[in-house]
Amino acid sequence: MKKQLLVASFLAALAVQAQAGTLDDGNLSISGFGTLGIAKSDTDQAQFARYNQAEGVQDKARIGLDSNLGLQATYTFNDWLSATTQVLTRKNTSPSFTTDLTWAFVKAKINDETSVRVGRVLLPLFIISDYQNVGYANTMMRPPIEMYGQAPIENIDGADVNYQHSFGDFNFTTQAFVGVSRGKLFIPTAGGVVATYRAPAAGIAFTGEYGPFTMRLGHAQAKLESNDLGPLNQLTGTIRAAAPLFGPYAPQLNQLADDLGVNKGKKIGFTSVGLTMDWKNIVLQTEYAQRRAKDPVYIPDTNAWYTMAGYRIGKVLPYYAHADYKGTGSPSVNVPAALAGSPVLNATVKGLLVSGDQKSDLVGVRWDFAKSLALKVQVDRVKPGTKNGSLIFTPNTQLGNVTVVAAGLDFVF
Amino acid sequence: MKKLMISLALATLAAAALPASAETVVIVNKANPATRMFSEQAAQFFLGKSNMFTPVDQPESSPIRAEFYHKVADKDPAQVKAIWSKLVFTGKATPPKEFANSAEVKKAVAADPKAIGYIDKSAVDDTVKVILTLP
Repeated sequence: MKKQLLVASFLAALAVQAQAGTLDDGNLSISGFGTLGIAKSDTDQAQFARYNQAEGVQDKARIGLDSNLGLQATYTFNDWLSATTQVLTRKNTSPSFTTDLTWAFVKAKINDETSVRVGRVLLPLFIISDYQNVGYANTMMRPPIEMYGQAPIENIDGADVNYQHSFGDFNFTTQAFVGVSRGKLFIPTAGGVVATYRAPAAGIAFTGEYGPFTMRLGHAQAKLESNDLGPLNQLTGTIRAAAPLFGPYAPQLNQLADDLGVNKGKKIGFTSVGLTMDWKNIVLQTEYAQRRAKDPVYIPDTNAWYTMAGYRIGKVLPYYAHADYKGTGSPSVNVPAALAGSPVLNATVKGLLVSGDQKSDLVGVRWDFAKSLALKVQVDRVKPGTKNGSLIFTPNTQLGNVTVVAAGLDFVF
Repeated sequence: MKKLMISLALATLAAAALPASAETVVIVNKANPATRMFSEQAAQFFLGKSNMFTPVDQPESSPIRAEFYHKVADKDPAQVKAIWSKLVFTGKATPPKEFANSAEVKKAVAADPKAIGYIDKSAVDDTVKVILTLP
């Protein structure tokens, strides 16, 4: 059954590809990208998922981890005005495939160096954020979750401005954006909970390109607000209900409940620096990022980094990467000493404030075997640390290393 | 036998020194004030790093296209495709328009003051201006 489905989607993708060429007319261009992937891990104790996915992979092969299909249409009105929409089908916060509107903007070219986009744009928090779903444009099978799992926000409804200037061979780009992000968060506790959020966000990124080197520095802040984050609301509700029992310390407990929650909107900052190199046959990609709470919030501060190195041999590109994230505490939240009066609450709150950590080593190979098609095979060796890292539906015990094997066919048309 | 080996080696050397394909030249509109360009600069337009000129491309599977990107940017067609995938699917740029052959590219460049293209040297005439000859 699964095999048939796989063959069918593969054929469908090829058919779409064969037809795409005829979809171009003068002003309208239709293009698309996708990945047909299959993955499995070596454990039935936990699931390995992309960030915000409601369903990951265990020891049975699944196509949901990496498979997606994006369709994009751009209409060019004249030499300075165009409109673009993109829809993306994939498994995200729902266990089945769903389709989201990922881009929908009108772009105005102010001059040769400056353009403004208004509408829905992807949030360029990290170096590959805005093309992380385009398998063909990436060397690795998927963005390292240690890094890209730090931010759940994918796009904003608002505007961005791009300024590009060349100083001789040095190419400089600045992108600034502001808007409001709305979406869903998947929380893998209590059997899996989906919460809706709203987050006004703004940020800026500077990119410098010199020959084969690209360096990027970015900072963004988002004010995350969610009222239906069930497990968190239960905890803060319990703390508030218990507060009167703590007599004079009651205000401290109410403050703690306010501090932990995201009902009022909590500001979180992301700062990252990234470097890519594609020189001769050597391909490097590395990034370091910090997530910092700017308001008191239950979300712990984290540091993350990864480095990928590859060597191109003709059409084949083998690569290796190491990724790592760890918590640097929750200095934003002050847990009152009086909470020790309720050992259960105390332990729950302190447990919540601890960040997970995880390391991964991965090896893979990309093979550009045909026009607009790339085949990838990747093996991840995940070493979950505190709270079993980024794995989902984990047991309460510490898991050992998990191996994830995946193969995928990336295409663009 | 030895003679055969030597002549084979010489033939290989000769083939390497004198490639079968003709020279490729980068052309712009006659109204374009530029008079010459380095291959690194030309690559910027064809890899979407600069919007100053509008690149005009040869057909995707044509030998002249593979050779052009190899010479100006040391990239094979798949690498160029991956670079454009990034730009296209992040809504930053649209890939260069493709034309059927050198004559069509020349026509497109002659018609657009901002266009930049590359064609076989033998196709050059006075409707366009050559700003770079690729070795």
